[in-house]
Amino acid sequence: MHYRLIAPKTAYCLLILSFVAFSKSSSAQDGKALFQSNCASCHNPVRVVIGPALKGVTDRVPDNKLLHSWIKNNQTVLKSGNKYFTDLYNQYSKVPMNTFPGLTDPDIDAILKYVNSYTVATPGNNGTPTATESDSTLLYGILTIILAVIMLTLLQVNSNLKKLSDDKEGIPSAEPIPFYRNKAYITLLILVLFVIGGYFLVEGAIGLGRNKGYQPVQPIFYSHKVHAGTNQISCLYCHGGAWESKQASVPSLNICMNCHAAINEYKGDKIYREDGSEVNGTEEIQKLYSYTGYDPKSGKYTQAGRPIEWIKIHNLPDYVFFSHAQHIRAGKVQCQTCHGPIQQMSEVRQFADLSMSWCVNCHRTTKVDFPDSAGNTGNKFYNIYEKFHKELKPGDSITVEKIGGTECQKCHY
Amino acid sequence: MKKLFTISQFTVFGLIIAGCNGIQREPSRVYMPDMAYSRAYETYSVTDFMKEELKRDHNFNYSNIPVPGTIKRGELFPFALTKDADGDSTNYVASKKIQNPLPPLNTLDSTEAERLYLVNCGICHGPKLDGNGPLYKGGDGPFPAKPATLVGDARYEAMPVGQMYYSVTYGKNKMGSYASQLDTRQRWMVISYIKSKQVANKTSAPASSSSDSTAKK
Repeated sequence: MHYRLIAPKTAYCLLILSFVAFSKSSSAQDGKALFQSNCASCHNPVRVVIGPALKGVTDRVPDNKLLHSWIKNNQTVLKSGNKYFTDLYNQYSKVPMNTFPGLTDPDIDAILKYVNSYTVATPGNNGTPTATESDSTLLYGILTIILAVIMLTLLQVNSNLKKLSDDKEGIPSAEPIPFYRNKAYITLLILVLFVIGGYFLVEGAIGLGRNKGYQPVQPIFYSHKVHAGTNQISCLYCHGGAWESKQASVPSLNICMNCHAAINEYKGDKIYREDGSEVNGTEEIQKLYSYTGYDPKSGKYTQAGRPIEWIKIHNLPDYVFFSHAQHIRAGKVQCQTCHGPIQQMSEVRQFADLSMSWCVNCHRTTKVDFPDSAGNTGNKFYNIYEKFHKELKPGDSITVEKIGGTECQKCHY
Repeated sequence: MKKLFTISQFTVFGLIIAGCNGIQREPSRVYMPDMAYSRAYETYSVTDFMKEELKRDHNFNYSNIPVPGTIKRGELFPFALTKDADGDSTNYVASKKIQNPLPPLNTLDSTEAERLYLVNCGICHGPKLDGNGPLYKGGDGPFPAKPATLVGDARYEAMPVGQMYYSVTYGKNKMGSYASQLDTRQRWMVISYIKSKQVANKTSAPASSSSDSTAKK
């Protein structure tokens, strides 16, 4: 370290003080805080953002003094005609870097130290394959079969023992009948098959045209678990139509690219398909780039884009009217009420069967949100019904059905 | 013979059980779908026009951009400035002079503006407007660049509203354009909301301790 005179020292202290006052809670030597408040909007230690990735910058520019003067005021370095920096400037499409006259030499050293020691966090392995969840049915099935086999064996043993004791006592036994010709066995089997067959027939008939559990393979493995769960993006960020209109709307590609122009690799917890195989998130983002015609290296759209043909999962027949806006804005229904725990689904499946009884059940049980004495302003949409509500005895509540929620013409017209 | 029968029984049982665990990749069957499929064009349905487009250009779009100059009913006048070309900042600088056409937000409007902010901006700029939303998470999130600290950074507190509007409309640095998600009125509402939070922070900052940069009402 160099020894300094008192005067520059006080100036230096003042500079630091002014810096601390400016950027609030960050000590002068805290490289991470300094980096984030000054550099991070254009630079990342390991990735190209607007400017180059900074890790190893001291190896690329060994002259420490030159690097410091570049960071403080890059314009003077450019004017002096330094070849390395002029090339760099041209390479990053001549976007001028901000000047940082407020940064001191120790500040810059702290930033460089942080940048060079930066390591990428390794992805965790919290997400387990979802296939293990449904294994219990198989276990129960095997148990049932084993128990049935034991029962049959014991019955056989029992009849053998009975035959032996009968022989001993001299009672003549009837000719043994094999079990597949035994009338009792055959009747039982027919009954069981009838019940099982009837069950599947009825279930199948009800299930015609219903799609509960439908989970198609989409053109890109888009995980709602990563976007809406881990990263807490609001449903309405992409499906803004749900607030405004009948359709929830599938986002167009520019909405994906709001974030994915910058996020070009996946580094979170491992993600799995429904069958348990692992998904390479970075590859799926590359698929998005191939649809949009975006070149992540140059950061420009080099080819014409084409839309992704997502497969629609929730389909209502044409004779049913359903409006998203009416339900989530006036009715204040959460998305998850009908779509299930979507923030935990890697691959979206249809959660509700979307049958009429399912709709009507909800309309029968959901209470209308009226203003109450506790200060809750309630849902202003239903103000016209408030008079009737007041005429009823206190404590009574009105369901959606009472205000016409099960009238045929509400949904079928 | 008996052995064969037992084995076949086991296989049938096994198949039934395995069938129950399957993932349904195909839609189920329908029986007489009378009036189930729309004759009219529904959202995202493929029309004859699209099929022609596909034949001609090997491509089509579900959602087309309105004809240039279209103004939605009730919408504010469009932004007078166009987007700058790469490496140019003429219009970005010119946007400083543009003023917010909306009157100050009333209570109802500011609740709506807060909702719009939290849905569209909060994931990066943070619900507290501190530039540390769930996508950045202090550098641990997936977004590589630090979003602007809207409250507590003198640069953004001094930023003219017109320039903010330019950035929301056309995008700036790594932020994309929000013109398709927020209409003109909504964009100005969000900017009014941010400005009101900045003012609230400035007036409360000397009173509260400096370590807490959260805007208080």
